[in-house]
Amino acid sequence: MIVPVRCFTCGKVIGSAYEPFKTRVENGEDPAKVLDDLGITRYCCRRMIISHVDLIDEIKPFS
Amino acid sequence: MNIEILEMEETRAKLLIYNAEPQTVNALRRTLIADIPKMAIEYVDFHLGPIGSGEGGRVADGASPLFDEIIAHRLGLIPIPTDLDVFRFRNECEHGPEESCELCTITYTLHKVGPCTVYSGDLEPVNGERYRPKDPLIPIVKLDEGQAIYITAYAILGTAKEHAKWQVTSGVGYQYYPIVSLDSSKCRNCDRCLEVCPKKVFEKVDGQLVVKNPENCNLCGACVKECEGVSVEGDPTKFILQYETDGSLSARETLEKALEILAQRFEDFRESISEMK
Repeated sequence: MIVPVRCFTCGKVIGSAYEPFKTRVENGEDPAKVLDDLGITRYCCRRMIISHVDLIDEIKPFS
Repeated sequence: MNIEILEMEETRAKLLIYNAEPQTVNALRRTLIADIPKMAIEYVDFHLGPIGSGEGGRVADGASPLFDEIIAHRLGLIPIPTDLDVFRFRNECEHGPEESCELCTITYTLHKVGPCTVYSGDLEPVNGERYRPKDPLIPIVKLDEGQAIYITAYAILGTAKEHAKWQVTSGVGYQYYPIVSLDSSKCRNCDRCLEVCPKKVFEKVDGQLVVKNPENCNLCGACVKECEGVSVEGDPTKFILQYETDGSLSARETLEKALEILAQRFEDFRESISEMK
């Protein structure tokens, strides 16, 4: 759906990192380096970003 | 218990604690996780029905693709800047439990008309600009054409014992201070310990193996498996504790508050013991 606000496991705020991550990876940067750069170092937080499927646009027309 | 600061950034800290026992450091860890108060959005009023956009008299439906409960939950998780000298718990305020004042509540409004993404930075603080969320880029919901959102939200003080949205710290952990030693008489100069170490504790200086960064060691023991000449132990009186905060409080404020709460708790305990007879 929409990216979670916080990491399910540790509670770090990760919602704000998803959009920069997506645009930078689409521009050809190495995903691992982008995550390090955004300060997402633990693997619990990293999986939140890399495994996220953004489906909000699919359900957006149905309110 | 002595505390030495190894690293202290705005939202991240690494401390060296010595002359301590595991139970004392664990008490500090648990306090950091569960007992630090902070502000978080607890009540959310949704405006139902048509919402005007203010420009050109466009009217949108007061509905969004996510359920109101999900939006309220997402709002609750946003870190809100907290001044612990100003705010107090609502039930400790002088007025009744159903009322609110500027000392126990921060009010926010949120008004947006689609198509757009609603971010945490769109929350407008009523009490003053300093309460604007520090992280303005957390997406709350996406709106399509003809959808709109108009919300009044109220943040109150709480602790993580009640709900994780009031948890200030994340990734709080401690380990024994590592003691890495080399027995050069057993060293075969194979450099295997140097290769397997994931934290780059060892280094070669003038052909001689030395322990360069003992503080990096995470006691994994990979080097001990490779060579008899290496020994890795933890010092049970010395600890490395590290934590992050979500930005509502700085790392330093959090630590000071945790130590204050711990001291107060031990003081209360001592008093109740002395009354027991």
